[in-house]
Amino acid sequence: MSDVVLEIDGLVRTFGDVHAVQDVSFSVGRGQVLGFIGPNGAGKTTTMRIIATLDSPDAGDVRVGPYSVVDNPAGARQLVGFMPDYAGVYSNTTVEEYLDFFARAHDLRGDARRKAVAHIIEFMSIGDLRDRQVESLSKGLKQRVALGRAIIHDPEVLILDEPAANLDPRARIEFRTLIRELAADGKTILLSSHILTEMSEMCDAVTVIEKGRVLATGSVTDVLELVRKRRQLSVRAAGPLSLVERTLIEQPGVTNVHEAGDRLQFDFDGGDAEQVQLVGRLVAAGLPILEFRAHSADLEDLFIEITEGRMQ
Amino acid sequence: MSAGVRVQAWLEAASDRLSPLVVKEARQVVRSREFVFSFLASLVAGLLIAFVGATDALAGSSTAGQWTFNVLLGCLALLGLAVVPLAAFTTLRQERVEQTLELITLTSLSSRRIIVGKLLAQSVKLLTLFAAVAPFLTMSFLLGGIDLTTIAIGLVAVYMASLWAGAFCLFLSTLFRSRAASGLAFSMFGLFVLLVLFLGFNIIRMVSLGFFPGIFGLGIGIGSATGPSILKVLLVAATFWTISLVNLVLLAENRLSLATEDSVTPLRVGFFVQFALMAGWSILWWATTARIGIFDTLGTFGLVHLAAVAVFTLTEEMRVPRRVLVRQRVLYGSRLLGTLFGPGAGRAAIYLLMQMAILVIVCVLFSAAPFNWHRVLASLGYVCFFTGVPVLAFWSWAPAKVTPMRLRVAILVTVAATMVLPDVVYHLIAQPETLDLRFSTRHLINPFRTFAEWDVAEGSGWTVVPAFIGVTGLAAYIQIIVLGVVTAPKAVALPARAESPEGAAGRGDVLD
Repeated sequence: MSDVVLEIDGLVRTFGDVHAVQDVSFSVGRGQVLGFIGPNGAGKTTTMRIIATLDSPDAGDVRVGPYSVVDNPAGARQLVGFMPDYAGVYSNTTVEEYLDFFARAHDLRGDARRKAVAHIIEFMSIGDLRDRQVESLSKGLKQRVALGRAIIHDPEVLILDEPAANLDPRARIEFRTLIRELAADGKTILLSSHILTEMSEMCDAVTVIEKGRVLATGSVTDVLELVRKRRQLSVRAAGPLSLVERTLIEQPGVTNVHEAGDRLQFDFDGGDAEQVQLVGRLVAAGLPILEFRAHSADLEDLFIEITEGRMQ
Repeated sequence: MSAGVRVQAWLEAASDRLSPLVVKEARQVVRSREFVFSFLASLVAGLLIAFVGATDALAGSSTAGQWTFNVLLGCLALLGLAVVPLAAFTTLRQERVEQTLELITLTSLSSRRIIVGKLLAQSVKLLTLFAAVAPFLTMSFLLGGIDLTTIAIGLVAVYMASLWAGAFCLFLSTLFRSRAASGLAFSMFGLFVLLVLFLGFNIIRMVSLGFFPGIFGLGIGIGSATGPSILKVLLVAATFWTISLVNLVLLAENRLSLATEDSVTPLRVGFFVQFALMAGWSILWWATTARIGIFDTLGTFGLVHLAAVAVFTLTEEMRVPRRVLVRQRVLYGSRLLGTLFGPGAGRAAIYLLMQMAILVIVCVLFSAAPFNWHRVLASLGYVCFFTGVPVLAFWSWAPAKVTPMRLRVAILVTVAATMVLPDVVYHLIAQPETLDLRFSTRHLINPFRTFAEWDVAEGSGWTVVPAFIGVTGLAAYIQIIVLGVVTAPKAVALPARAESPEGAAGRGDVLD
């Protein structure tokens, strides 16, 4: 990968006896959107907090551009925009004042500050809300303002922890569009989410993490290939299913055969060529096959695989 | 461009020079119910007091201005020592609870700038409340019976006390995360404020009656309150107010800092300056007034200061992350500064011994009688013993279980045990018919009683026990220094990575 902006190298973080993150390594290139996938407690938020310099690792390091988050957290902070999974809003503060405060806190002064606030208000399409109390906004609008806050200092890297959680479908679509626009603008984005259908549409690459360890990392296509190797197939036959089941169990690469309604469902460890051979063998065995179906794998399947621990 | 727009543009430009937190909080405050209520209450109170004062003056009273001012100052003190500190406590606590503090931490604002910004915001609020009462204060002057100097000193004193209380509350709010613990801590502070108000009221009364009891009533009286003497007292108070305020800010910064940041060195320097001020002022006072008793006070205050500092510094982690040391050298550029004021228990022992040596030298040189510095020396030995021995024992026998909190508890338990056990053991073994709590050799293990009754200890020739305790404590300190050296990272190299201007050790280094 050329022009790596975010590099996580051998990250370790423990809390007492809990190993939250264990030797996590991956990298993200400029303008890339990387989805961080894993069940609750997998170590996503801990990793993100370390990247954002809110926590420090027990071992390993993160480099944001030229800066190490351990050796030079202040330098790294200038290049990172972090949007946690909470809103973080103030009472008695309007949207414009909220953004203005964070612009000042990033040492933007005078015209630079005014332009940054105006740009964010325009980019986020929140001009109508500028005088509204930020505390009174809906969840979706708060998320929008929070994203504006995270990018007010024009960071190179954006860390978004569950940005689409609890948003209605319309807000999600708008949010997705914003993310793609930011990526097109050259921002490097690392985001975690449980809404995996959205992740596959938003992300160029994914990193799968569970129990603090990275299980897979790469482009969405590459990682899905891992699941496809254990694709799920089903067969519907005209005769009794028991006969088909006996034959299926004997086939190489077939596991976990079970009845699902009027058909047999099973896992198959093999690629397209092996699947063609399997169909051929079943037909050659004289089985009355009515239907043979392959379930296409997506990130949801990947997530299920992980949470059931089948990928380890 | 209209005048209004021009003023607004000027204010906008001027606000760039202020802390972002001051701007934010000023905007929030003017909309908050609590501030509007405080402001209106101070206006109404000021109006009522001024009205009663004016009525009194019209009736022919010559002291109407004086009591009007005193009552107004009382109202301001209430606002300054209760409302503003409470707001300071709440504002930082709220930031922590709502996690907005994390969002601020991610900006260019350092922990120190955050604390200073919060304090300045409270200071602005205080000034606004003062401004509300200002017209009535002017009226108290016009009513007669009080001069402008007294008004100015009173206002400055309340303002300084309030700012100090605000800084203390900011520090307090960084100590605990749980609501219950925070509430308890603030209640304790409230009781402390009531005590201070009570004492302050009595001191003001005594001053107004022409009686000056001397600093803290500890025999450093300046006799008749002449102009230069009052100036000196005010100067001493102002310097201690400043350094203690700075140290409170540094303490709060220390609580908010990340583990990789070195917030210990500024704190150690701050407390050293506080200690040096004590010694410096004592010598200066002695030089100008020839009052030898000042060194008894220095001995007492110096001991309390060093004992408190020892409990919190000697219990730090023994191993300092190499990256912290590297960053420290990058920031301060001096190895000596790192050794004397750097983080870690080993360096803390050096830091404490250095200050103990200064205290002993000052007392030896300036004390009136050897008895005084003998007592200070013995007490320092007790400080070494009761902090050094439990810490060393913990590190030697259960290093895996060492945490700063456990070490501090171990120190406190050891001290508490020596206060109780000698009498309990004596009465269990000897079983005397009457309760005998008179000072005797068994009490030499109790640091407080030995300090209080040092004349008995020295007069009876019992000094061998304190000497043994002191030498043991010193040995423990030396062993802690050795332990700090042994566990220190082997080499602390300055950064060489071209691409990381302030960076340091190579990527992937384990924080040891």
